Amino acid sequence: MMHHKPWVVGFILLFASFSLFSQTKYTISGIISEASSNETLLGVTIAIPSLRTGVTTNEYGFYSLTLPEGDYELQISYLGYQDIIRTVSFTKNQKINFQLTEKAEILEEVVLTENVEKLNISKPQMSVNTLAAQTIKKIPVLLGEADIIKSLLLLPGVSNAGEGASGFNVRGGAADQNLILLDEATIFNSSHLFGLFSVFNPDAIKDVKLFKGAIPSRYGGRVSSVLEIFQKEGNSKELKMSGGIGAVASRLLAEGPIIKDKAAFLIGGRASYAHLFLPLFDIENKAYFYDLNTKLSFTINENNNLYLSGYFGRDLFAISDRFENVYGNSVGNLRWNHLFSDKLFSNLSLIYSDYYYGLELDFVGFKWNSGIQNFNLKYDLKHYLSDTFQVNYGINNIYYTFNPGKIIPNSPDSGILEEQLIKKYANEFAAYVGAEHTLSEKLSMQYGLRFSYFIRLGQEELNVYENDNPVVFDPFLLVYQEATPTGTIAPDRGEHLATYTNFEPRIALAYTLNPDNSIKMSYTRTTQYLHLLSNTSSPTPLDVWTPSGPFLKPQLQDQYALGYFRNIDEGTYSFETEVFYKDIKNRIDYIDGANLIANNAIEQVILNGTARAYGLEILLRKNTGRFTGWLAYTLSRSEQQTRGRTSFEDNGRSNKETGINFGEWYSTPYDKPHDISLYASYELNKKWSFNSNFVYQTGQPTNYPVGKFEFQGLTVPFYGLRNEERLPDYHRIDVAATLNPKKNIDRSWQAEWVFSIYNLYSRRNAASINFRRNQDTGANEAIRTSIFGIVPAVTYNFKF
Amino acid sequence: MKKYVYLLVALAFNMACEDVIEVDLPDQETRLIVDALIRVDVSQPFLPIEVKLSLTSNFYEENVPTSAENVVIIYEEIVDNLVVETRSSSLAETSPGSGIYVPNPNFSSDQRIPTTVLSRDFVYTLYVRHEGRLYIAATKYVPTTPINSIYQGTGTLFDENETEIVVNFTDDPERNDFYLFDFGFGEYLVTEDEFYQGQEFEFSYFYDQQFFPGTIIEISILGTDQSFYNYMDQLIEQSGDTQGPFQTPVSTVRGNVFDVTDLDNIDVFDNVDQPTLFPLGYFAIVQEYTSSIIIE
Repeated sequence: MMHHKPWVVGFILLFASFSLFSQTKYTISGIISEASSNETLLGVTIAIPSLRTGVTTNEYGFYSLTLPEGDYELQISYLGYQDIIRTVSFTKNQKINFQLTEKAEILEEVVLTENVEKLNISKPQMSVNTLAAQTIKKIPVLLGEADIIKSLLLLPGVSNAGEGASGFNVRGGAADQNLILLDEATIFNSSHLFGLFSVFNPDAIKDVKLFKGAIPSRYGGRVSSVLEIFQKEGNSKELKMSGGIGAVASRLLAEGPIIKDKAAFLIGGRASYAHLFLPLFDIENKAYFYDLNTKLSFTINENNNLYLSGYFGRDLFAISDRFENVYGNSVGNLRWNHLFSDKLFSNLSLIYSDYYYGLELDFVGFKWNSGIQNFNLKYDLKHYLSDTFQVNYGINNIYYTFNPGKIIPNSPDSGILEEQLIKKYANEFAAYVGAEHTLSEKLSMQYGLRFSYFIRLGQEELNVYENDNPVVFDPFLLVYQEATPTGTIAPDRGEHLATYTNFEPRIALAYTLNPDNSIKMSYTRTTQYLHLLSNTSSPTPLDVWTPSGPFLKPQLQDQYALGYFRNIDEGTYSFETEVFYKDIKNRIDYIDGANLIANNAIEQVILNGTARAYGLEILLRKNTGRFTGWLAYTLSRSEQQTRGRTSFEDNGRSNKETGINFGEWYSTPYDKPHDISLYASYELNKKWSFNSNFVYQTGQPTNYPVGKFEFQGLTVPFYGLRNEERLPDYHRIDVAATLNPKKNIDRSWQAEWVFSIYNLYSRRNAASINFRRNQDTGANEAIRTSIFGIVPAVTYNFKF
Repeated sequence: MKKYVYLLVALAFNMACEDVIEVDLPDQETRLIVDALIRVDVSQPFLPIEVKLSLTSNFYEENVPTSAENVVIIYEEIVDNLVVETRSSSLAETSPGSGIYVPNPNFSSDQRIPTTVLSRDFVYTLYVRHEGRLYIAATKYVPTTPINSIYQGTGTLFDENETEIVVNFTDDPERNDFYLFDFGFGEYLVTEDEFYQGQEFEFSYFYDQQFFPGTIIEISILGTDQSFYNYMDQLIEQSGDTQGPFQTPVSTVRGNVFDVTDLDNIDVFDNVDQPTLFPLGYFAIVQEYTSSIIIE
């Protein structure tokens, strides 16, 4: 007898069920866009109140709705826009494009109807948060520089390692476990200036969507989350300019038609001021960043659209002539949307992205560069089979080149020898199928399967170790050490050094208790083949990515989530709460004192461990009215463990190991048991609006010395088990006031002033506490480093 | 390379503010510290053997010297896995309670170790019996290369109160070398020859202070093996203030001295089941060259 896995059986049953319908059906499809600019709108709801059903537009603003013959009232709604209510006859297949107009009077109450509510409540997608560019721009931030990632930190389940730390952590996952997609292209480093700002120019962004769990099968490659960022397509009706002058950077964005209503361009630049932060020193320093967003969109005909998008960003630091540091992402992406029929939508993407890091140290005499490049081919299809059943499927192939580093002498006098560390190559293929399926008025499901196949390709040279063990353990000193290779091999590029195959089932279901209440649950398996070699609390720009291979296994995560969702008072308020549990296999950990940079044999310092995270998230939002905002609370833990291996051959000596941290579970640097965020926005009148944040987090895990010892004149604190102590709790309030001058009325130049204060009560939140000997007094001291006190800022935004 | 990360971080955090705060620290039981770095000047007839024993303290307090029941170095020449010669050097405390042990001058025979033995392949094992427990550490002699020259530069990196010293040395092309530089004032630097094998190599070191003209600064180059290099790398990192969001996970840095008291090789072959039982410190015998410079 065959033992089918339960989800396989479920699959077959579900696919079988939709073929039972037999009435004559017709399909209405089209694009929904904004009236003033033709900018497509994603996530717009098209509801049919009489049937208590509906669909939403996809990433390209496309919708398709198939219903039995008849007349139906369609209700098209999108927050912040006027609803459209229209009766449509489903008597033939037809294309209908809708254009939504922004609500003229912002202060007018948004009236949501029961049916729309029901739809949100009844969709199986959970663990997702969407932020509109408008919201992001309102949130008070450091130095008034609107910031996508800093805004995400206000959501439940999202945190980062601390002030001025790069990256972000989702549900206790590491920063390298987030898939960050800008128009479908992978962004490898999301931070400017070591995490003070993120690399996304808010003017060029349409929407941001963060999947913290229940990740649909079309996404893969990272275990923890998916952050999808959509760039605007550009206004194809008229030329528009917008921009801003801020305390840190200035922005300018132009968009307009190339061919009216058919082709549009968007180009946006942002640059910080060159001597940021360093004017206090007389030494010639430079520290700045810039980025450039571009997009061309072209509607060939009603069935074909082309998009070309690009991003280029760089950070630069230099100290006199002695030190220079440049890094950043570049991304290029060509996409072709094609409608095979009014029910079958397809998108083909060709994507290139890279991350470059360069360093020159004149006083040591070398230049250094490292990076990662990838070519990505993606083909995605979505089949709108009926209003209750949609299937999407596709394939994806990514070819990676990893440059762990190249060192080059910077002058003829330098003693440095040019050397290219061994480049690594890999190919990641994936195919997926997924479905959104409304089984009954009460039960709907989203389920799918992703198949991923990873090949680590041959490289110039690969070490061979005794017993295939690159890390050896000294059973007396209890330390892990690099094993000495017994030889090397030189595999051809075409050779497969290691291959990994994984099936990743994804399933989510929603059970609607009544139109205002639902329960959702999900199970998600995700695989990650790439690892960011980072031994620090948050990633640094010079950290390098490395592929799985003969010694390094892919990370596998299982996530279970259960949630309760409720709309209160006709959607004026919404309440969501979720519990989650995550279990990660093969989370890499590093031996003590591991050197990760310029290491040609990284396998010698890495051990495979496990990680887990679990928690409770609560989000209460007020969605409408003059006063909007949310309160988010997260109670969670995030831990990892690396136990001693026991599998190695007994060579007569002891083969027991202690593992890292004696094999005990320890808190990850981003373990924040309590995390409270409050965001409030109040529109006083047409002229003034006010926004405020309050953030409270348990202090970051850290280590306090349990003693000290002296060795050869060095005073060395020593420590017990890892991360057993915590920094003091972190909290702060930020406020901002936005002024829309009266002069804006009846003129094309629209201006806006944003006055903000970061860390209003100037709390000295500890970024770290260091223990060292005071060189002058000889006394041992604990030193608290805090990064920002109170920071006021003014930003001027304009558009015309 | 790791230190360059900190260089960047230091830059980013220049605007941060620091203050001294009171932190109550957990206390752990005291451990024995063995400071036995023997820096050999090969032009001298004997190795400058000196082993310093002390006990760990709370972070805010000072380490206390401690006396041992017995301290001895046994060194064996091994040829084809056979011990062909065994010698020993018995150490005695310089004065009672000082915790400093040198070859016993009152012994019937000369306990000093002649420099001539360095040309042969000896393994040196240090035995310390302290409060009833026996600790051992084994090492081999590691040679190094001399400093060609040092001179004072005029550059600075982060602020003007720095002093630049340029160090020039030539790497030995026949070996994979690991170096430890001692700049005095408890400032050390480690570097390995991976990217300058056999080359004349020059780099700048920046003291975070200015010296009065006429101050004499001594800079030493020491040879290390990879383990001692890793050890010093970690000590330098943990004794400095290279932390913040880019801090690396800390752990007690273990040296090459370990507790063998319970190892009977019948039931207990290793220390895996008593992982918290260990002393601190390192025993190494390394070649050292020192150059000095008069600050202008």
